[in-house]
Amino acid sequence: MLLMIYVSFILASCQQNTPAERIGTYMGTVITEKVYGKNAQKAADEVMEKIAELEAMMTIKDADKQSEIDKLNDMAGVGEVKLSRDSISVLGKAIEYAELSEGAFDVTIGPLANAWGIFTDNPRVPSKDEIDNLKSLVNYRDISINNADSSAYLARKGQIVDLGGIAKGYAGDVAVEILKAKGVKSALINLGGNVVALGSKPDGNPWSIGIQNPRAPTGEYIGIVKVRDKAVVSSGDYERFFEKDGVRYHHILDPRTGYPADSGLIATTIVADSSTDADALSTSVFVLGLEKGMQLVERLDGVDAIFITEDKKVYITEGLKESFTFKDESKEFTYVEER
Amino acid sequence: MLKKGDIALVILLVVAVIAGLAGIRFYRGGMKGDRIAVIKQENKVIREINLDEVQEAERLSLTGDYNNIILIEKGRIRFEESDCPDLVCVHTGWLDKTGSFAACLPNKSLIMIKGEGEEVDGATY
Repeated sequence: MLLMIYVSFILASCQQNTPAERIGTYMGTVITEKVYGKNAQKAADEVMEKIAELEAMMTIKDADKQSEIDKLNDMAGVGEVKLSRDSISVLGKAIEYAELSEGAFDVTIGPLANAWGIFTDNPRVPSKDEIDNLKSLVNYRDISINNADSSAYLARKGQIVDLGGIAKGYAGDVAVEILKAKGVKSALINLGGNVVALGSKPDGNPWSIGIQNPRAPTGEYIGIVKVRDKAVVSSGDYERFFEKDGVRYHHILDPRTGYPADSGLIATTIVADSSTDADALSTSVFVLGLEKGMQLVERLDGVDAIFITEDKKVYITEGLKESFTFKDESKEFTYVEER
Repeated sequence: MLKKGDIALVILLVVAVIAGLAGIRFYRGGMKGDRIAVIKQENKVIREINLDEVQEAERLSLTGDYNNIILIEKGRIRFEESDCPDLVCVHTGWLDKTGSFAACLPNKSLIMIKGEGEEVDGATY
């Protein structure tokens, strides 16, 4: 009798410790999930379905379909557009981060992003005149949101909202909500490099998250951060770039100059409770640079960061001292412990 | 007081349990620690392969907006050829570790080896 109880206990816990895994291509990238617990498979499936929905709402310029953000952009300078609560939430957060970063993060970057074409097959270096003209269309203050009505309006013709710097982050938070609602206590989701860790691993240990070496192939790290219930998001000049005449142009545009950010950083990582915050902040501090980036992060509760400079130095905020282990096999980076 | 018959029964039960657990493992296919690769196209599973049980190399063709050729060998798998614009998939090279994956985003195809990562649970990139 006791043996049978013991056996069923073992079988049940074997199930609990085998995760439901899912992988898919959404939001222009690869999304992977590892979910533990009784309802793991259902929860994992529901998360992917929701991510597919978010993709349909927020992706712009997909030849096959028009998203609601495409509609918002088409109606720029014309009229307001009804949006889902998800899109309204993301726009609200986007404006918050634009204010916090004093414009270093600005989702109205669309016209400039188009001109550079970095996410297309034909990236190019726009002329200075083109950049100056398009810069005038970049201004997050031109987004107005009507919460009661669930609608938004872009003030000027030609303005384009591009949620690329925050949508995956938002998807991560939504995923966690869905998993928690299904009773999941342990999961790891990776949305194109945005990591979201729910709870601890089934054995109670924190999740070990590798921090990509910005100058080595994918899968080589400069360190590992151990986390529970955190989002870990990186931005870097190595993620998406093209080269022309020996100069590298990366994808993180500085809205204030119209050119790829030249702040002295090659990579940033944010560790925060919210995946949306981590996503928007990792772009923000990349554009702001080490000094201003550090200042911003230190003002925020529950947010920590790793900064990697172009002279290959690694700086971290106080809060990561316990959970970050510097581990650079390339031996090209220096960990700066005291600033 | 434990009788001889009781002890025999306990031993029998323990053996039955062990046999049962072993049976479950084998029934699931392969041994624990085998590398199972999953190939997906447009988010639908095309094939799952136990890489550790592969005998002969095999090529698999995926056609979508572009064409990929996937090469499957014992213990490893990769995108071998592709006519996509950036060839990131091919440049990723061989996958042989659990938790690793490669994707051809233009063709919406991907390969992943299921299971825990060896050094880390996940990584930012």
